[in-house]
Amino acid sequence: MGAAGPTKVFARTNDFQDGVFLSQRLRRFKMGNNIKSAASSLTNLRPMCSDLSIRLARLMAIMLVAGMLGATLIRLAPGFSADEQELNSKLSASSILALRQARTADSNILAFYGKYLSSLVRGDLGASRSLGEPVKELIRERLPITLQGLCIALALAWLTALALAVAIEFSHSQLLAFGAEGLSGAFLSTPAAVLALLFVLLRWPPELAAALLVFPRIYRYCSSLLHQSRDLPYVLVARAKGAGPWRVLLWHTLPAFLPQLLALLGVSFSIVLGVLLPIEVICDVPGIGQLAWQAAEARDLPLLVNLTLLVTFMTVFATMLSDIARGAFTRATA
Amino acid sequence: MTGRETTWTQKLAVGLLAAALFATLFAGYLAPSGYQTQFREATNARSSTGHLLGTDDLGRDRFSRVLYGMRISLFLAPLAAALSTLLAALVGGLAGYLGGTAERCCLFVVDLFLSIPWLFLLITVRALLPLNISPQASVLTTFLLLGILGWAASARVICAGARNLMASDFLWLARASGFSGAKLVRLHLLPNLRPALLAQFAISIPVFIIAEANLGALGLGVSEPLPSLGSLLRELQSGVLLHPSPWQFVPLAVLLVVVGCFQILINQLEVTA
Repeated sequence: MGAAGPTKVFARTNDFQDGVFLSQRLRRFKMGNNIKSAASSLTNLRPMCSDLSIRLARLMAIMLVAGMLGATLIRLAPGFSADEQELNSKLSASSILALRQARTADSNILAFYGKYLSSLVRGDLGASRSLGEPVKELIRERLPITLQGLCIALALAWLTALALAVAIEFSHSQLLAFGAEGLSGAFLSTPAAVLALLFVLLRWPPELAAALLVFPRIYRYCSSLLHQSRDLPYVLVARAKGAGPWRVLLWHTLPAFLPQLLALLGVSFSIVLGVLLPIEVICDVPGIGQLAWQAAEARDLPLLVNLTLLVTFMTVFATMLSDIARGAFTRATA
Repeated sequence: MTGRETTWTQKLAVGLLAAALFATLFAGYLAPSGYQTQFREATNARSSTGHLLGTDDLGRDRFSRVLYGMRISLFLAPLAAALSTLLAALVGGLAGYLGGTAERCCLFVVDLFLSIPWLFLLITVRALLPLNISPQASVLTTFLLLGILGWAASARVICAGARNLMASDFLWLARASGFSGAKLVRLHLLPNLRPALLAQFAISIPVFIIAEANLGALGLGVSEPLPSLGSLLRELQSGVLLHPSPWQFVPLAVLLVVVGCFQILINQLEVTA
């Protein structure tokens, strides 16, 4: 013991010194790694910024061309120069002349669009000819209603589709699968306007109609992804090691398919927005869809150009966000 | 879904579509009256031996109108689908074939069309067109609009297919052997793009039938007195509240069955592919 004592102490001291040395080295290594990772993240930031600026430039270009396209279509539409107010017998000849002059002022589409863009830069969206109110006010009143309906419909559609797809995947029930296929097939074959009409008769919320029309697309895609994931090697290994169905789903399947699901989220936003137009018209919801319908019927050029730009912006922006999220997730897991 | 189930649903869908096609082809013989013949003494009549599905509020035989309505939808939706597939093949095929800047320009146009929700664009454009045109002109306008506005998604698929083909070994070999331009497109590109084009054509048909139904239900589709599956749905807007009758839902049921059959066949095509 006596002989072994100093050797042990020496060894312990050496271990201690080694330990201190090692911890210092480790700290330095960590610091170096942190600096390296910071440097690499800085170098990664540049392509990310350039990617974002390209996307924003593309968004602007698409919006400019879409607005121009919308204005041209409206200008070329037959009966653009005619105004229903001209039929009003109470109007004097000078009033009718003033109405006609106001219409002909918009007949040069390039001049109209140039003037519109210059006022847009100043934050002035013009005034609606048919409703006699500033477009900004109309959009401010109606956009929250459409956005609320859109969010509720999207959330309901995604929850229903995911719940159904997961339930079928876990239960392997042929009856449930058949029922879900039939239900999604029925809603996929139903026109939005007809479903909206039925919902008006039944006095059910219109958001549910929008959700039911979008749910089949999400359900079929998710169901197909889950079906594909069954035979993936890492899923088979996880199952063989005893992982339960929820663990396999949350830890192995979902992260692998998250990029596709994020892309689908962007697409489903656009589908809901399209579906909401007939639903808002038939269910008398005072949203952007109903406003667009009223503007198209009244051939209200300033209002329709603004709404086309707004809808294009919403769609492209949602797709861009889903693309960015998808890219960030792919980079993080790479 | 098992193979056996697949077969019977597919067979059922083919059978129902064949029956619908037969009924529309021989509508002149099967229908008890013309689509605009009015029985003024029997408006909103219930089902009887004279009127199988009853009559509408103008006294027109509903069964006859459903048959003639199916004829218009089932013949013109494929024509609109053919037009949109042709446009998609031109834009998408050209983009994939030329590549580079031309491809980027074509895809920008495609993105532009895809950035505006299709139904929004369709309803807006249709609302801008005159509504007091003749029934025949309204049919042509409606389906022409569907064909002209519905090509963008297909063009993207066809562009991707053409791009892959242009990078394939056999096309490199063909180009090395001196094939170029129209000959390369006619002999190598188009025959290999045919499955994608046919798939896009098949996918477009039910989409266009539903789009026409949406327009019809909003009063922007085919004008009276011509019937289509969409314009027949307009009866639901007023008739269900004033004179409720189960027969008023028959056009909707027919529409669901026809589109559902197309969906089943498209799903089978995807499974087979």
